[in-house]
Amino acid sequence: MKITVNGEMHDVAVAPDMPLLWVLRDELKLTGTKYGCGIAQCGACTVHIDGVAVRSCQMPVGDLEGEVTTIEGLGQPQVLHAVQAAWVEHQVAQCGYCQSGQIMAAASFLDTNPDPTDADIDRVMSANLCRCGTYPRIREAVKTAAASLRGA
Amino acid sequence: MRRLITVTGLLLSGAALASDGHGLVIKTPPVGSVSRTDGLQAWEKIHAVVSHPRCVNCHTDEQNLPMWSGPEYADVRPHGMNIHAGESRIGAETLTCQTCHVTSTRPNTVPRAAPHTGMEWRLAPAEFLWFGVDGRTICEQIRDPERNGGRDGAGLVEHITHDAEKKGFITWGFDPGAGREPAPGGMQAHLDDMIVWVAAEMPCPE
Ligand code: FES
Ligand code: FES
Repeated sequence: MKITVNGEMHDVAVAPDMPLLWVLRDELKLTGTKYGCGIAQCGACTVHIDGVAVRSCQMPVGDLEGEVTTIEGLGQPQVLHAVQAAWVEHQVAQCGYCQSGQIMAAASFLDTNPDPTDADIDRVMSANLCRCGTYPRIREAVKTAAASLRGA
Repeated sequence: MRRLITVTGLLLSGAALASDGHGLVIKTPPVGSVSRTDGLQAWEKIHAVVSHPRCVNCHTDEQNLPMWSGPEYADVRPHGMNIHAGESRIGAETLTCQTCHVTSTRPNTVPRAAPHTGMEWRLAPAEFLWFGVDGRTICEQIRDPERNGGRDGAGLVEHITHDAEKKGFITWGFDPGAGREPAPGGMQAHLDDMIVWVAAEMPCPE
């Protein structure tokens, strides 16, 4: 079956009920997207499908409609996405395990809600868990990213 | 075969039609054959379905919070993770329901995962309020086109067959998959009850 990830088309020979997360990590070796729980409880596996955040552990690849973007395709080391740049500025990551999911969730949210309140940020980011408790830095970085996206 | 089904149906309860797509049999009782008592009995079974946690948890008020209630939960509380479906009722304002509840007609096989259906996950419109509401109030809402999405009796029946075609939320309620208690009955029984209730002119308990 054919899927488009980060602008590239791939032909993968997998069962249609395989979660997209497995395809990304095991078939395409895109290991930036993490496995935390497999049951939509942690957010570590968040990617974009046509720009909207989706838990890739929940998406059977056979039901995928649209183009996938993973953390590897959001920005590039030389040209960071505004959310990634804000994450660096605020030194958000601790161990880093949850962070690609956090960044993908924040990037999709700011795309539709460029001027969020603190309550909005807490609502959208509460479904992404961080064992290291980087939540205060996440909230500040989302605000910085929002400001830079509005200014851009 | 169609003729045989029709003839048998007539003998039993009027016309019966197996329809394509939804896989359910529509058994229309002869005009005037359904009493108010039959209708109220059918309503009681409909009520057992629509008051089940599988249904009420997403039929909530204009606070737009999905609920977690039922035997799977230690207590009754709003959906965890600070989820708020917004006025859009699909979470568009912050986190869309579909971020976790994807759209798929595949069976729900993983315990405690986010359930999915063939329809896009959402809260029912706020005026279809069932959570924490008594049966008579739900009954009056369901039969009121002003508060049921503009449906007459035929529309209510069609709502069920359409859901069966799409493997939507009603279908899921009876077959929620691993670790979740299903609503009582099944799609065919629910459809039969709805047809009888409608034929009895939608009586509600006093
Ligand atoms: S791995 Fe998908 S939400 Fe936890
Ligand atoms: S930085 Fe360690 S889990 Fe979030």
